[in-house]
Amino acid sequence: MKKQRKFWRSIAPYGYVMPISLILLTFVVASLVISVIFSFMKYNLLLPPEFLGLENYKRLLTDEKMHLALGNTLKIMIMVVPLQVVLSVLFATLIAARKNSLAGKIAKAAIFIPVISSSAVVGTVWKTMLNGRNPVIQGFFSAFGIDTGMLLGSSTTAIITVAMIMVWKNFGYYMVLNLASLTAIPDSYYEAAKVDGGGVMQRFIHITLPLLKPAIIMDVFLSVVMSLQSFDLIYTMTGGGPSNSTLTMVMYAYDQTFQNGKAGYAMAVSNLLFLIVLSLLMLQKGFMKREASEI
Amino acid sequence: MKKRIPKVICDVLLLVTALFCVLPFVYMILMSLKSTLNAYDFSFSLSDVTFQHYVKIFTTGHFFRYFMNSVIVALGGVALALLCSSLAGYSFAKLKFKGNDKIFLFLMMTMIVPSEVIIVPLYLIIRGFGWINTFKALILPLPTAFGVFIMRQAILGVPKELIESAKIDGAGDVKILWKVILPLVKSSMLTLAIFTFVGAWNNFLWPLVSTTQSEMRTLPIAVSSMKTAYDTDMGLVMAGAAVTFLPPFIFYLILQSKFQEGITMSGMKG
Repeated sequence: MKKQRKFWRSIAPYGYVMPISLILLTFVVASLVISVIFSFMKYNLLLPPEFLGLENYKRLLTDEKMHLALGNTLKIMIMVVPLQVVLSVLFATLIAARKNSLAGKIAKAAIFIPVISSSAVVGTVWKTMLNGRNPVIQGFFSAFGIDTGMLLGSSTTAIITVAMIMVWKNFGYYMVLNLASLTAIPDSYYEAAKVDGGGVMQRFIHITLPLLKPAIIMDVFLSVVMSLQSFDLIYTMTGGGPSNSTLTMVMYAYDQTFQNGKAGYAMAVSNLLFLIVLSLLMLQKGFMKREASEI
Repeated sequence: MKKRIPKVICDVLLLVTALFCVLPFVYMILMSLKSTLNAYDFSFSLSDVTFQHYVKIFTTGHFFRYFMNSVIVALGGVALALLCSSLAGYSFAKLKFKGNDKIFLFLMMTMIVPSEVIIVPLYLIIRGFGWINTFKALILPLPTAFGVFIMRQAILGVPKELIESAKIDGAGDVKILWKVILPLVKSSMLTLAIFTFVGAWNNFLWPLVSTTQSEMRTLPIAVSSMKTAYDTDMGLVMAGAAVTFLPPFIFYLILQSKFQEGITMSGMKG
């Protein structure tokens, strides 16, 4: 009797970790395995898959639309990441400096509102504002020489517009991350610098930035990974258009699967994207390690 | 005196940015409350306020169904994530078993897989189970390893003595978890609940892929496809967007600090 109870005690922990393990194994790990296997197959979702060898991966090299999607994805990353990180550091610093003032509190709360909103809402509202013939909004943008109707309508500006709206939506996320690191910096550091006669800029460069460095590396990495996966906002705002100028890799994989019935090839596209993310992760780990050893 | 000026500039910059971040949402609410005829002028008077768009979207078409779908999916996801994560978190934090660290590390590794990258194979798996257009498809993939991480971190902080004395009183694991541990980590559970709720509510690509019947769609998908008619019925689209926007926003108003706690945790995991 006692022995039996002991036995149950010893295997019970496995039972407790079982539900989440099963979920992650069936939906994440199995997905990865399927993605690798099917990327060597021709599969149109209906007929049984056929083995193709490296054919899908060879096609990645010659498929011009795929190159366009890769290019657009990288363009979005290059536009979004630096701006998002700079804005998030700037506003985290400003808010930390004014954390007890009303303006600081209002800004901290307001900047986060776009973060918790659905991309479908953000995309729909911005699209309506830009395309709606609203004289106030049109007037505001034309003061900067911008024709609102063309922002999403032209194939040169559409990608810039969606990238800027992504920055607008997400920089608050990184700001909160930075703010957590900033508030961990003891005030005494700043007091000491003040005594030594350090100005605002000097204090920012010599105290804030170095101590914020791990947070900034994190910001860069997370926003790179997020921007490489762009889909929701663009799908809502442009659907990849005009003339594929905002087509991203995730969107291309989606189209290939559900519009063209090329699921095998779509998984090769997704695997390429995953490889890019993985190599960036290695890079970030390397940076973090170097950072740790310097301290 | 010299120090005052930068402070003022600081505050003005902060307030202008705050305004810039909320204006589109203000625009959305205002437009949703106006009658359709004068939707394009910006003038707004209280006498113009009408809830006709809200009444119309909820009484015609599938909109109420989409709303209920979103509610069911988000609440189902929260319940499932809390259950799985607290069981596993307790196990990893307080129980001794062979492979504890290894299994935990393995689960944490799944966090590096970006969710958008596995959308096609996930569709194949769910289709293989025959779950397309079901709540199972929408809810079951929601829990993540991040939840386990949050709960393990929280439960690690529960004093060993409390658990030992409950054990002496003859309480089993489930009773210890329910009566002793969970009441002490309520705050972390709330963080996890909010994160899961907002994530599930705003989820886009997966519901788009895993539902083909209109009745199974969730609010974000519905709103994003409503836009096709925006030129004629902008008020309706804005009302739909507002209904989608409000639940996470209301939670945010009440529990601002929990959101920020969750983000800080999500930074820690890396």
